[in-house]
Amino acid sequence: MPTIVDLHRSTDSAVAVSVSTGVVSPVTPRTFTPRKKKKPWKSWLLFLLFAGPNVALLIVFTYKPLVQSLYYSTLQWNLGSASAIPVGLGNYVTWFNDPGTVRVVTVTLIFTIATVGGGMVIGLLFAVLLNRKLHGRGAARTIVVAPYVLSGVAVGLLWLFVFDPNFGITAALLDAIGLASPPWYNDPHWALVMVIIVYLWKNVGYVALIYLAALQSVPRDLLEAAALDGASPVRAFRNIVLPLLGPTTFFLSITTLLSSLQSFDIIQAMTKGGPLEGTTTMMYQIYQEGFQAGRAGYSSAVATILFAVLLVVTLIQMKYVEKRVHY
Amino acid sequence: MTATPTFTINRRQILKLAAVFGATATLAACSGPSLGAGAGAAEAAVTDWTGITPAKEITWWSNHPGTSKLIEEEIIKRFQAENPEITVNLVTAGANYDEIAQKFQAASGTNSVPDLVLASDVWWFRYMINGQVLPLDDLAKHLEFDTADFNTTLYDDYTFTGNHWAIPYARSTPLFYYNKAVWAKAGLPDRAPKTWAEFDEWAPKIAADGGVTPLGLGKGASWAAWWFCNMLWGQGGAYSDEWTMTLDTPEAIAAADYLQSLIYERKVATVAAVDQVADFGAGLTGCIMGSTGSLTGILKAATFEVGTGFLPEGPEGQACPTGGTGVAIAADRTPEQQLAAGMFLKFLTNSENTAYFSSNTGYMPVRTSARDGETMTKVYAEFPQFRTAVDQLETTRSQDWGRVFVPNGDKELTTALEKIMLQQADPAEAFAVASTAIATSFDENVSAYL
Repeated sequence: MPTIVDLHRSTDSAVAVSVSTGVVSPVTPRTFTPRKKKKPWKSWLLFLLFAGPNVALLIVFTYKPLVQSLYYSTLQWNLGSASAIPVGLGNYVTWFNDPGTVRVVTVTLIFTIATVGGGMVIGLLFAVLLNRKLHGRGAARTIVVAPYVLSGVAVGLLWLFVFDPNFGITAALLDAIGLASPPWYNDPHWALVMVIIVYLWKNVGYVALIYLAALQSVPRDLLEAAALDGASPVRAFRNIVLPLLGPTTFFLSITTLLSSLQSFDIIQAMTKGGPLEGTTTMMYQIYQEGFQAGRAGYSSAVATILFAVLLVVTLIQMKYVEKRVHY
Repeated sequence: MTATPTFTINRRQILKLAAVFGATATLAACSGPSLGAGAGAAEAAVTDWTGITPAKEITWWSNHPGTSKLIEEEIIKRFQAENPEITVNLVTAGANYDEIAQKFQAASGTNSVPDLVLASDVWWFRYMINGQVLPLDDLAKHLEFDTADFNTTLYDDYTFTGNHWAIPYARSTPLFYYNKAVWAKAGLPDRAPKTWAEFDEWAPKIAADGGVTPLGLGKGASWAAWWFCNMLWGQGGAYSDEWTMTLDTPEAIAAADYLQSLIYERKVATVAAVDQVADFGAGLTGCIMGSTGSLTGILKAATFEVGTGFLPEGPEGQACPTGGTGVAIAADRTPEQQLAAGMFLKFLTNSENTAYFSSNTGYMPVRTSARDGETMTKVYAEFPQFRTAVDQLETTRSQDWGRVFVPNGDKELTTALEKIMLQQADPAEAFAVASTAIATSFDENVSAYL
């Protein structure tokens, strides 16, 4: 005996049942037309209608350039030239053997660890603070999140003046307490510290915003129960709130890592990779080699290496870190 | 709550992924450059210009050097009044020469290539080896350009393989700027030091009596390796002799030693953090080597009287590089468009418009007739500092190929000079690293295209 679900699923069965039961009105002519089986091409058409534009855009603007870049990385090609010379893996060999590569990788690592780690910690602290019932909380939330929506170039230009060792606010503040301004622009290490500070200032609002949303969904009863059991706020935070924030932390670790490794605007506006290439990350190197030196093939090779690094790191995060997320 | 499924990928998914990438790769391989060695500069195309009618519309990519958008628009207006059948579209294609070059190279092979494009001292050669610009001699001859009237150094800057690949337009050189008030306090004559040896004598007085750091130096790409030509050539050295790097010569090392001694031994020079011109304008330094293109801005911004002079001479005499930009015609356009572009280029760089452009921007008058004409004479009377810059033009020389023609040449030299200036690195070592990198870049990116 077919169930109601089966009847809905199969129009053929529905007809059979109606015939077998013989419930046909002799007065009213039969107006019932059995539903025809949905043609697969219709489903495809519907699928193409909804997904087609997105898929087409993804193919044209994401996957095609990605694969094209892989192909270009095997060429010795001057940007703008109508012809190129195939060099196989030559560009990769050059990059791995270049004495400057160690510096670029080191700068990229320091920048990424500092901005991702620092951003998560500071963002969480802000979120915890902004989650409390404080006076002027709304304004404070706006202030923390606002830099995130500003243009990176505008932020870079603004901070260019803030850090100016002769005319900047930092120099004036340090001077007030009897300290000299560090050589932000003339020392590669200080320059890296400077762009990290600016990157954090701009992006910490994003982390705070996401953590804030997550904190507001932490069940109050768990915290109240812990308090009743005598757990200190610090312990409750460590043993209840932090584990519950696990999925958020995992999500943020991926998104902030990707965004940090692709950071370009602040470096371009403030230091242009200098001084002494002290702020040249892999992302900036791709731009420099591709558009300033016109080495399109070599630049594509560096882009491919960065892509591989991002892919591997993300896969590792998904494979291993996600397992540690408690719920 | 349920556990979030962990990420897994099976063999079938890997195969699907490979199929997607394979299909896209096929698609990707359909576009891009053609393969093969020996690609290079556009052959000196033989076009019979006599039978060609100029196109009705052309496009010009500019960054309006010296905030010259209104000036350029006015010149276009004048051109269209004389040639109503041709429309010139002026496009702001970037904020500086580099941005224009990046767009021009990226647009190669598409329909978006302009007819005319700015071609700066460090970019025109790359346009040429990429086959992106037209050799201009035939067209100039057909249109009866008065090329003999151009300043010879500035015109010949764009020569390679016997052809000219651009026409000089917004050209500049470095110039010595000094703070007259500081000079007066230090009891110095009202002029720039004639030689670096004389500057060495004056510097302690400027520091002690003038109360400022005597010399401000600029760092960064497209800048440090430009003004350093003065010290390098003044010592008898050079970045390169054609394609051979010559930074290991005693003269080159002596120039770098001298630069380093100004900062670390004598402590009479400082490297600006952000902008040496702004520091000079704020009275932090007594003098700088700046671009002639900054002249108008410096005169406006400074709260003190500014003096100008030739760059100081080294032991081997006067040494000043040329700089700035010319205008080129794209190779990948129809002869009709190229002819119309040539007509506009002739108009843009004629004597009257050269004087009009120079007098409004501070760039060098690239024609002798414009330099000595009525318009510029009035400018010299009002701003005698400008006259110094124009007079210095006679002593300039084209830049070394190792810096301006090799991709990353300027970048590698800038890094070497920054090591020398900011980290007190051994000049021989810093130059050796730069020389090796530039020689490698030449092998990989230039020689195959010549």
